[in-house]
Amino acid sequence: MSLKNMTITPGWEKYMTKEYIDLVERGPYGKQKKVSEMGSFKEVLEEHPMCAGCAMTLFIRLTMVGLPNPEHTILIGTAGCGRLALTQTSIPFIYGNYGDTNAVASGLKRGLEVRFKDQAKDVVVMAGDGGLADIGFSAVMHSWFRKERFTTIMLDNEVYGNTGGQESGMTERGALLKMAPKGKLFDKMDMMGLAQTSGVAYIARLTPTNPTRVASVVRKAVMIAREVGPTFIQAYTSCNIEYAIPTPKVLDDARDIESKRYGFMEIISDEAKAYLDSIDTAKKAKKE
Amino acid sequence: MYLVAHIDQAICSETACRLCTQYCPEANTILYDNAAKTAFVAVDRCKGCEICVGICDDLAKHHAIKMIMITDLQDTFELSKEGFRPETWTGKHP
Ligand SMILES: Cc1ncc(C[n+]2csc(CCOP(=O)(O)OP(=O)(O)O)c2C)c(N)n1
Ligand code: SF4
Ligand code: SF4
Ligand code: SF4
Repeated sequence: MSLKNMTITPGWEKYMTKEYIDLVERGPYGKQKKVSEMGSFKEVLEEHPMCAGCAMTLFIRLTMVGLPNPEHTILIGTAGCGRLALTQTSIPFIYGNYGDTNAVASGLKRGLEVRFKDQAKDVVVMAGDGGLADIGFSAVMHSWFRKERFTTIMLDNEVYGNTGGQESGMTERGALLKMAPKGKLFDKMDMMGLAQTSGVAYIARLTPTNPTRVASVVRKAVMIAREVGPTFIQAYTSCNIEYAIPTPKVLDDARDIESKRYGFMEIISDEAKAYLDSIDTAKKAKKE
Repeated sequence: MYLVAHIDQAICSETACRLCTQYCPEANTILYDNAAKTAFVAVDRCKGCEICVGICDDLAKHHAIKMIMITDLQDTFELSKEGFRPETWTGKHP
């Protein structure tokens, strides 16, 4: 997509829904919106059926604000809770088969580079821990080994939320779930370590406790994927249904998990760091 | 009948920290009226999770948000009816 494609042809305004008109006129296109401006601009995310108080919903909402160019972005998702909201954005969305996301993204990104030589197109995969660390694991790893230039965001709720509470590779050892009644017997997979081993240019692990940080991490990941190489964000996005967290406590839980074990962690390659510095220098020069 | 978040604009506008708008999981649900310098809720979007109440009480420490029965509210704002038109908000929404 591009901003030009979204603009309403003169004379057709009266046939468009008000949501669409609001989006074109008061949306985040063409200028990077700040988290502090939320509530004052029309967001790309619409109503959707994800559960009340779901931390994954919050994380997806903040991700959309962080995208540097939503008008030049394509999202890829798959079965799992996140796509219930991702499909309700004004960003083109491709539903990869469960397990396929990073293979689809690889082909798509390469195709876009051939088709749009003068316009960077960002490809962002957003899928669950089951979708990426279990069934999609080999496609994820190989996309990293091949240095495919797109961003992978794992919505890590540490369970198969959409199918009623099976353990995933990302579930913590000992966690009791509906379909892990004796508690999980194995450790949580170290996806951060695996990303590092396979040479991912920018790797981040975080929770949604700091909205500005979420948007900034997403922006960095997408920018680095554009120019340098694969990027990976692992986000703790609790499932309040399967972990029985009362919704008013969802952010207390995120803060607690963040301080006890999840933390905020960034691993950035020298090349990616140099690239970010060059963007900053260019921005400062423009201001002066 | 169900509960939705309701913002006391007299309390909110003293500081209007905008924190609740950033933490509500739902998009364009807590809106910000720049003229009246206050946040307000699009009741048709609110899923009643109460996350904003905790944010305003514990993080902002302003205690401006309460959960209220939808039938006890008058002149509510619904995004699906009015659209996203900040220029029309200007202090009109309770
Ligand atoms: C090939 C295939 N196997 C199984 C399923 C059924 N399925 C749908 S969603 C899901 C689990 C989703 O878990 P996760 O990826 O962790 O996302 P969450 O719902 O927790 O966000 C499964 C197993 C499927 N759609 N396709
Ligand atoms: S089942 Fe869990 S992860 Fe899925 S929408 Fe509901 S709370 Fe969120
Ligand atoms: S957190 Fe409270 S004081 Fe801050 S904007 Fe929201 S309602 Fe107003
Ligand atoms: S109760 Fe939940 S959905 Fe409603 S305004 Fe507050 S944070 Fe948003």
